[in-house]
Amino acid sequence: MSEFFMNNLTEFWHLTGFYNATWQHLVMLAVGLFFIYLAIKKNFEPMLLVPIGFGILIGNIPFNAEAGLEIGIYEEGSVLNILYNGVSAGWYPPLIFLGIGAMTDFSALIANPKLMLIGAAAQFGIFGAYMVSLLLGFMPDQAGAIAIIGGADGPTAIFLSSKLAPNLMGAIAVSAYSYMALVPVIQPPIMRLFTTKKERVIKMKPARAVSQSEKIIFPIVGMLLTCFVVPSGLPLLGMLFFGNLLRECGVCTRLAKTASNALTDIVTILLGMTVGASTQASSFLTKETIFIFFLGFMAFIIASTSGVLFVKLFNLFLPKSKKINPLIGNAGVSAVPMSARISNNLGLEYDPGNYLLMHAMGPNVAGVIGSAVAAGVLLGFLA
Amino acid sequence: MKKTLLLALVAIIGLVANAQGRSALKINEVMVSNNSSIVDEYGDHNAWIELFNSAYGPLEISSVYLTTDPNQPKMYPVPLGDVNTKIPKRQHVIFWADNQPDKGTFHTTLQLVPGQDNWIGIYDANGITLIDEVVVPASLTDDQTWARKTDGKTIVDANGNDISWEVRDNGAKADGTPSYITPSSNNIIKDGNHKVQYFHERDKNGFALTVMAMCIVFSALLVLCICFMIISKIFAKVVLSRKLRAHGLDPIADTDAAEHDSGEEIAAIAMALAEHLDAHDTESTVLTINKVKRAYSPWSSKIYSLRELPRR
Repeated sequence: MSEFFMNNLTEFWHLTGFYNATWQHLVMLAVGLFFIYLAIKKNFEPMLLVPIGFGILIGNIPFNAEAGLEIGIYEEGSVLNILYNGVSAGWYPPLIFLGIGAMTDFSALIANPKLMLIGAAAQFGIFGAYMVSLLLGFMPDQAGAIAIIGGADGPTAIFLSSKLAPNLMGAIAVSAYSYMALVPVIQPPIMRLFTTKKERVIKMKPARAVSQSEKIIFPIVGMLLTCFVVPSGLPLLGMLFFGNLLRECGVCTRLAKTASNALTDIVTILLGMTVGASTQASSFLTKETIFIFFLGFMAFIIASTSGVLFVKLFNLFLPKSKKINPLIGNAGVSAVPMSARISNNLGLEYDPGNYLLMHAMGPNVAGVIGSAVAAGVLLGFLA
Repeated sequence: MKKTLLLALVAIIGLVANAQGRSALKINEVMVSNNSSIVDEYGDHNAWIELFNSAYGPLEISSVYLTTDPNQPKMYPVPLGDVNTKIPKRQHVIFWADNQPDKGTFHTTLQLVPGQDNWIGIYDANGITLIDEVVVPASLTDDQTWARKTDGKTIVDANGNDISWEVRDNGAKADGTPSYITPSSNNIIKDGNHKVQYFHERDKNGFALTVMAMCIVFSALLVLCICFMIISKIFAKVVLSRKLRAHGLDPIADTDAAEHDSGEEIAAIAMALAEHLDAHDTESTVLTINKVKRAYSPWSSKIYSLRELPRR
């Protein structure tokens, strides 16, 4: 009888996390806890870092995979695997884009369309990182997937990496969201470095009022034009502009509310948690992950720098009354609306009456469009 | 009336969708004389016809007809109720032309005759719409196949001739490349992502891709920018015209008049009138314009930017 007890208890012990734990699991659990700490204590993008951080904990509970319990995220048919399908098949990101479209007011961009070019210039961060990734020995498809971190757009990064380099997706997603959370730390020094005191206090004219008809036309024309140029960006751009049309048309208020609130919240929970859970120690703690984090950091710096420098260049061709404050250049990297808030805060720091938020929202939302277009270009070239 | 229109629209969309789906079915490879090539599940060597689903979604082919006689389009109906007749995206199925339909779904009543041209066609469920056809040349010898060069694709040369098909015999082509017979698999065997290899070899530092991609990103947003500059000008004119009409002015003659109604000018006029009419209450009569510093501004308010939904 005692042998029966001992055999079963030993077998059970072999199934526990304590028996199967390795130092890699413990490191990843620490990373997950650190993310949760950053989110709760430091308030860094809590709605992303809490699900991702907790997902990392879920994904790194050690268990005996050979027991066939079908609980792991990579075990076909498991609950986590079914939820992860939205990431691996790439259908969560377009749903998030639907919500972003339904939340975003493109008025600032419509009122001052030239701000769109700042959103385009900031995408240089993606391609700068692409070149460095190649130098570090990544293949072009992997380099493209890593470089998209520079778009500062989590859903786009997940969408593209799931197509180009599924094995790197976990590291890319965590890197993208980590740096998005760290935008308030990364961007201000760059903005200060590349601007003069005189430039930081440039006051921009308030944007004109945009009519409702223009707001309705924008998503329709925007979708048609951008998708005709880059059809491979259709899932992201199509959903973004569709969400915006729901918002602006005025006759689909219920749908717009659902897309911007309930639907986005549900998908964010599932996306964050499953992306976190996909970062299993065995595939995450590698040399490649370190490279990816380094490249992601670089991509953010290049993107922010190119946005600011582009505004300075642009100002050379603009009359004095229409100069653009280069502090809004950083907002071209997407990361809506965090980077626009940084422009605003920095502007207020140098002139308490200089509110740049609405001006910065222009390049900010243009950055969303730009990064989706850039993802489409990479997908077209490399998939 | 509205309901009728809606039903008609749904019916048209349904028909178009159906037609698009079936047209993705292609004859992909045919072997007329099978002496030592693949065997069926009974161990027999028979002539075979490979069909390919060229769509990027699954395709159900039950109820389509296979035939070798254009005058008899309903020669072999693909039976209903077999799960294997649903072809996954970009995949193949083989039908045996052995005239033994009692052996299973994929054994047909078709017979191919070596030494003569063999016409093969696929008809849709109505027995009228021809989905795909091919004439297998008489010159095909034992164990050779007549195959598309690229799966499911029709290739036309500069003179308009169809050059989609070629003979395959497991030997080598004139250019030295292998000429595999590929039943139930792709006619072109892919050993990797050629685009990635191409960029890896031709654009080692990524400069070319960067230039091309940035040009495309800029072009896309520049086109959008120009488009909205034009649209905003049109709307500005429309708004101005409406404003003038509302004030009973001629929109064409009085275009300049409206340009002077800036906020500052209106404020100045209002102040002058108040001064002239002496419409003050008991006040200090001292006008002071103070800059008010406040944390709140509509420019930084979320209710005016992200969360406000328009209502009709």
